[in-house]
Formats: sequence, structure tokens, C-alpha cells
Amino acid sequence: MTSDAFPVSREPFDPSDVIWTPVSRKLIGARLTVAAIVLVPLLLVTGVIAVAAGEPWLWTLPAAVVLLGLWISWLVRRQVGAMAYAERADDLLVRRGIMLRSLVVVPYGRMQYVDVNAGPLARRFGIATVQLHTAAPATSAAINGLPPQEAARLRDRMASRGEARLAGL
Amino acid sequence: MTEQSPVTSGAPPVQSEPAEGPDAITGWRRMHPITPALKGWRIVVAVVTIVVIQSDNLREAVDLRHGKAWLLVLGVLAVVALVGFAYSSLAWRVTRFAVTDEAVHLRTGVLFRQQRQARLDRLQAVDVVQPLLARLVGLSELKIETAGGDGSGVSLAFLREADAEVLRSELLALAAGLQRPTSVPTASAPISTDVPPAAAVAQAPAPAPFDAAPEREVYELPMGRLIVATLRSGAVPALVLAVAGIVVAVVASRDIGALFYMLPALFAGAAFVWNRVNQGANFRAAISPDGIRLRHGLTENRAQTVPPGRVQAIRLSQTPLWRRKDWWRVEINVAGYGQGSESQRDTVLHPVATRAEAMTALWLVLPDLGVEDPVALVDAALDSTGDDAGFTGAPRSARWVDPIGWRRHGFRVTERALVTRSGRFWRQVDVVPHERTQSLGIEQGVVQRKFGLASFVLHSTPGPVSPRVEHLGAAVAAALLDEQSARARTARATATPEQWMRAVGVPTGTADAPPEPST
Repeated sequence: MTSDAFPVSREPFDPSDVIWTPVSRKLIGARLTVAAIVLVPLLLVTGVIAVAAGEPWLWTLPAAVVLLGLWISWLVRRQVGAMAYAERADDLLVRRGIMLRSLVVVPYGRMQYVDVNAGPLARRFGIATVQLHTAAPATSAAINGLPPQEAARLRDRMASRGEARLAGL
Repeated sequence: MTEQSPVTSGAPPVQSEPAEGPDAITGWRRMHPITPALKGWRIVVAVVTIVVIQSDNLREAVDLRHGKAWLLVLGVLAVVALVGFAYSSLAWRVTRFAVTDEAVHLRTGVLFRQQRQARLDRLQAVDVVQPLLARLVGLSELKIETAGGDGSGVSLAFLREADAEVLRSELLALAAGLQRPTSVPTASAPISTDVPPAAAVAQAPAPAPFDAAPEREVYELPMGRLIVATLRSGAVPALVLAVAGIVVAVVASRDIGALFYMLPALFAGAAFVWNRVNQGANFRAAISPDGIRLRHGLTENRAQTVPPGRVQAIRLSQTPLWRRKDWWRVEINVAGYGQGSESQRDTVLHPVATRAEAMTALWLVLPDLGVEDPVALVDAALDSTGDDAGFTGAPRSARWVDPIGWRRHGFRVTERALVTRSGRFWRQVDVVPHERTQSLGIEQGVVQRKFGLASFVLHSTPGPVSPRVEHLGAAVAAALLDEQSARARTARATATPEQWMRAVGVPTGTADAPPEPST
């Protein structure tokens, strides 16, 4: 069996028979808020230092913070845009990442339990995280940024499908 | 398949239905009365160890011995010992266990009561462990491993050696789906595990509920090979080099002080060698209807039983210094053994196997590899590179990412399992039966993307084996992901039930079909 025997798909992280559901764009807001909580005080502190010291070169510090903020906001947008999941008949696909891309396939029959988490910030933005657990701790199938109803629907669906397919080991 | 409750079967109501309350369970038993004496020592040893570690200055300790202070130390030790033994006796008084047809129940705890119930059809392994002290007085600990993560099993310590073994056969037989002979009426012939399934014969009611399953020894590790192999394993040459370097440094600088920096490394090295030898000593593997039976240990005797279908993945690995001898270390993933330093002694299927023994070990776990010539397959997996022998290797562009080992990255799919191979100097071969696949994934970094490569990852239960194939062609990896998830699905549908004796058609009494009338 050589590599020629395999059907060459156009894009390994985008199988042709899969319809991807992107995660909510609200996740961008939530992640940017987290970044802002760290960066805004940093910007203020560096700005005050620059003003107080009066040295012109000290203005590079707040400038660096601003650049970092711009880069993070660009990155977060792209990252969230790359996150998606897809429900197939027998398994769930979770895709993430741009620089370090990964695609995980979790069979419903292998699901041990499902977590739905929503922190205070996430609740404010109206999103939740669904985390699937199999008997393998390496299974990193978390879907961030789902609307709560969608998260609950997904959780119930996973639970019922896992049951129907006799989750064992 | 395995989920329906055994209570719903056509078995007559002779077996009492286990109700929810603990009072409904009969036959509570206690551990052996010597248990507190054995367990109390652990507390004393723990306290002494902590004291020794804390008083890091040895001179301080020597000073203490000159004064009267050592009397105080002895007194404190005596009090600690007394408290330890008193607590252990209390703990022993409240500890009870019971075995029903479906589960093992354990009640423990002096202040915080705990009742644990482990379902037998979810049992992953049963170990009989004899620490040195317990061995001297003829006691052993019975450990029932389940897949609930660290500390999820049930440990029965200590029982009389013979009792532990009888209990082990009983648990394994019940877990296999066999029914207790005494509770089976004449309608279905009672089967004990040592009777071949085809020749089911009715037995007279015996006092022992189940006979021990017969076993056949498969391989044994000679002590000489274990010691040589341990000395040739990676850590020891590194240690020798380090010692040589420090000796040179001491001679060059004429300062003996450098020697003391060496001590921790020396201790670590000695501990490594001792652990390997201690755990691998007298290593024997046998096969029985209950599954694979492993016995090993020098000071601490362990007899592990891993029932059929409980091994999730297998790894054969070799360090460079083992190459000339063609020795392989065989390790397995079993859901019950979990992760951590402790699991290292549990998850070894063969510490130092010759190639033939490695194949036997593989055969123990996976009797059918799904190819016509399994020997050729294993040979190829251990030695081949590139696209040889039916393997799919990494493309040439992978040499930019992994210039040394790129030829060894590869996989082969058989009807029963996925075989992956990697490592040029530290060779490694992983085998995962399709039905044991938990989840799958592909990953791609920036550089890999530039060269059109992707890594395939297979997630298995916690353990030493974590199969992945690095730097495959991106399209190949994607196709493998797709095909492998389909294969895992179909394999799961036909997998062995968790009560493994039901797979071979033994009338277990809990099967759906009504038991056949005996002749």
C-alpha cells in the first residue's frame, strides 16, 4: 500500500463530506476582554512611567503594549475563525488552530462523559464550553464559544448517542 | 451487548437480587487479623523517613546521639508506633468486604466512612501482591483494578495467600460471566473454568465456588539477561559517563568536594537499576482462560491477571545498546493501571524479550493480527524503513523536518490492528487493535504545513503507549484518520463482550437465551 493508493483530498483538515459549524463570534469578545484585562493596566502603568520620567525612549514601552494588543486581536480573530465542529452519524469532529492545526475525531461510542462549563466572563458574553471526555486523557476535544442552548443541545445529544452506542472501554 | 442487567435474564430467583442498601449484601468478610501489624509499620516507616529527610544535616543527628536527646527520639518513635498500630487496628475493625455476583463491595474508614462498589464486568485486572513483610507471614493483598483513574480500584489487604487466590479465581470467573456453581439449579450445567467450553460437564457441588483456571507458562526471563539488559539500558552508560567525568574533574582540580555532588546522581542510578532488577526478577508469563497472567518481583511478589480484551495497546521498544542483542521491552496499556511511577511495574508485559519472545508476547495480547504472516509483519515493523513490507512511510519531504529518523516513521493497517513504527536509534513499534481506539486526531505545525506533512495521533487509555505517526503526507494522514475511524467503528460492533466467557458461547446463566436443559 503506497501513498498513491489513498484518495488525495484537497485539504487534510477539511474533509469533503463534512459540514462544519463555526463557533460563536462572541468568543472573540470574551477572549479580547481577557487580553484587555491584562493589557490595559499595563498600558496605563507604562504610559504613566513615560510621562513621569519624561524620557522619550520610554514611550517605546506603551507602544509595544499597543502593538501586542493589536497582534493579539488579529490572532484571536483568526483563531476563533478557525474553530469549528461537525457532528457526523457516528462521531464528532473538532477542529482548531492556524499555526498549530489539529483535528480530533471522537466516536460517540467512546464518550465517557460530557462537561459544559461557563465562567463569569463567558456567561456575560453568552457562551459556554463543551468538553468531551473519553477514557483517553489525551483526547483534547473542547469546543469553546457555544451559545448556551447549543451547548445544552450538544450535551444531550452526545449523552444520548453515547448511550445508544454503549460506551464502554 | 454487555450492558443489559444480568438480573433480567431467565435465571431463577435463587441468587438474591443485590438491593441498593449495604445491609442487603450478605457475606461480609474481614481482612486477616495480622493486617494491623503489617500496616502499622508503614506509618512508623513513613514518620522515620520524613524525620530523616527533614534533618538534612547529618552532623546534627550525630550530635543528638551524644546527649540524652536520643532517649526522647526513641520515646517519640514508640508513641508514633503505638498510635500507628492503634489506628491500624481500628481501621481493620471497620474494614469489611463482600463479593456478590455483580460487584465487590468494600467498607472502610474510621472517621470518614467509605463504601466502594466495583462492578465485576468492568474489572480491568486483578493483582495478587505480596510485599516482603506480608510474604514472610504468608499473606497477600488482592487488588481489583477498574478504569476509573488513579486510586479507583479496590484493594483488599491483607488476606491469607490461599484465600486471596481462591478469591481471585472467583472474581475472574464471575467477571467472565460464569455463574456461581452453587446458585445454579440443575437446569443449566455448572461450568468451571478449567473445563473446556465444548465439554461442559455437570459437577457435583464442590465446597470451593470456582476452581482456579488452568494456566500454561509461555515465557520466563532468565536473571542473567535481565541484569545485562539493565546495565545496557540508557541510564547506566549515561551514569558511568557522568561518574567518569566527575572523577576526572576531581583529579584535575584536586578537590574532593566535587564527589559529593555526584552522590544524588549515583543514588538515582542505583535506584533505577535496583527497581528494574527488582521488578523484572523471576518474570514469568502464562496464559489461562482468565487472561494473561504475569508473575514477577524479587522482594515484592506480584501476580497480575489481565483478562482478555483488557489490553488497549502494546509497545515494543529498544534502546541503541540492545540492538546487537535484539532485545525488546514490551509494554501495554491497561485502563486500570493508570499513569505514574507506580504503574511502570504493572504495565510491563516483558522486561527484556528476544525477538521470538516479543512476538509471543504480542500474540498473547493479539492472537490474530489480521495478516497471513504475522511473523513477517512484526519483523518488518521492527526493522523496515520507508514504504517496505506494506508499510506506508513518511514522504521524502519529511527529511527536512526530521533528518535522522524520517525513514522509520510509518504505519500499516491490518484487518485487526494498526501497527505504527518510529525511531531510528530508539526503535519503537506500537500496535493498537481497532476496537480499542478511543479517539483519533491529526496535527500540523507551521513547518509541517510548508512541506505538506501532518502527524497522525491515536489516543489510548493512560499508560506507557501513546501511538502517533509523525510527518506523514497530509493527504495520507487525512485518509488514515477517516478510514481508521470507520474501522474502529465496525470493529467495536463485533468486539468481545466485557464478560469474555460469553463470547465463546459458554452457557453463563446470564445470557439472553434460556439455558439448555441438561441431558
